[in-house]
Amino acid sequence: MAITYEPIATTTLGSAQSSVTFSSISGSYTDIILVINAKANTGTANIVWEVNSDTGTNYSYTYVNAEPGGVTASGRASSTASPYLNFYGYLDTTWGNWIAHFMNYSNTTTYKSVLARFNNSNNGTGANVGLWRSTSAITQIKIKTSANNFDTGSTFTLYGIKAA
Amino acid sequence: MAVVSIKNKLRRGNLLVGNDPYIPTDFESIATTTVGSTSVANIEFTSIASTYTHLQIRLINLSSSAGTNLELRFNSDTGNNYDTHWLYGSGSSATAGAATNLDYVWAAGAGSSTAPAGVVVDILDYRNTNKYKTVRTLGGYDTNGGGYIYFTSGLWRNTNAITSLKITCNANFNQYSQVALYGIKVAS
Amino acid sequence: MANTYTAIATVTVGAGGASTIEFTSIPATYTDLYVLLSLRDNRASTSGDNVKVTFNSDTSSVYSYRLLYGDGSSAGSASGSSEAQTRIQYASADNQTASTFGSLNMYVPNYTSSNAKSISSEGASENNATEAYMGLTAGLWNPATQAAITSIKFAPYNGTNWKQYSTATLYGIKNS
Repeated sequence: MAITYEPIATTTLGSAQSSVTFSSISGSYTDIILVINAKANTGTANIVWEVNSDTGTNYSYTYVNAEPGGVTASGRASSTASPYLNFYGYLDTTWGNWIAHFMNYSNTTTYKSVLARFNNSNNGTGANVGLWRSTSAITQIKIKTSANNFDTGSTFTLYGIKAA
Repeated sequence: MAVVSIKNKLRRGNLLVGNDPYIPTDFESIATTTVGSTSVANIEFTSIASTYTHLQIRLINLSSSAGTNLELRFNSDTGNNYDTHWLYGSGSSATAGAATNLDYVWAAGAGSSTAPAGVVVDILDYRNTNKYKTVRTLGGYDTNGGGYIYFTSGLWRNTNAITSLKITCNANFNQYSQVALYGIKVAS
Repeated sequence: MANTYTAIATVTVGAGGASTIEFTSIPATYTDLYVLLSLRDNRASTSGDNVKVTFNSDTSSVYSYRLLYGDGSSAGSASGSSEAQTRIQYASADNQTASTFGSLNMYVPNYTSSNAKSISSEGASENNATEAYMGLTAGLWNPATQAAITSIKFAPYNGTNWKQYSTATLYGIKNS
């Protein structure tokens, strides 16, 4: 019987660093789920995703979130080279988690949508949908900070979900 | 107080002779539909097995009109037996709302012809005959200048076990749209 | 090959209800924990009810949360820190439509780590009426001495009892 839900790769940081890259991602799954459990080594940062080494302005995203002060908000960024997995709900020195679903990531016929939940009880929570305007299969995912570093002990795990 | 003490529940194995048999995970693929060159309005799963306790739908949708409804119906019930609630971000504001006595549960808005909507739907206790059926959805689409991120829920006011479900896109599921149904088991 | 996604234990509330749902003796075998909950409590309300979550019987003021919610008409947010529990949202409450149970999930990554434990949750109460609360939640358990999670307790926030047929299943997710 085919395995429906299985781990692909995982990284735990032994020292602070600004990015983690998963390369040579198998195309044998339908969706990928990225689970990040992290905090910043200092200060704050947004968590930025990049695929297939594409540093062009081929990304965009729309978000909704809860912010400090009882505020709710929604916004978007278009034609950006730095798509966030969050807006509030950013990285700071509080442990948080970010869960992103790369939907139908390996097809070569559609642009790619990414559904994300971001969770930092200290500064925000919400959801985000991103778009990579390419029909290429995603074979590499890079997660990076907009500033500062992911702290030691931060973990990044890819899981694959395979449809029948 | 309901307390469950858990025994260590390891299941390991590979297919080599003499080893334990491989036991699948408790999250399994049931069926998948990928739309071909002819767009369709509906995708339906019938004769859903009673093997599972929860269902999850994972889909991408391309359509001719972004934002058009993606609607769920169960067991061919087209009566006004559904309610739905939503919380979404439009890119400018967070909005909540509700609609009752509908003939569908609203899951999310459809994607455009190039920017697919991604949607994950959870239906817990779908066979439980003591409960109406609650649906919970996270989904959205971004068109690089437009789009929505949705968190929606719905209620099918019927205690029958769900044996079929139909997803309708009012602007059609275009080619390459894909809907996958998964079953989730509970501890025995 | 170890199973990635495994149902560890399931609770179904029987006749007479239950003041809490608790999973104990959680093995350290997995990487992340995931809980699926179908809940209704005895709060006399039409809006739903939050769910208190505590770990390892710790009720000291070491929890925080931040939530985004909708009530069927408007969106809002709230937060808390240094509290005796974190919370997820929303269970159905007793004045909501009969036979209706809120649908919730809760994900806890790295539950055996020596770091504070963060939580991701989504949930919705539902109702045959405009008013029904739903929302997204971030939570944190940050005790002075960090520990692996070995037990989780869910209790109604305003109500006193889970209603019959409420269910919860604990899953272990393994990253290798």
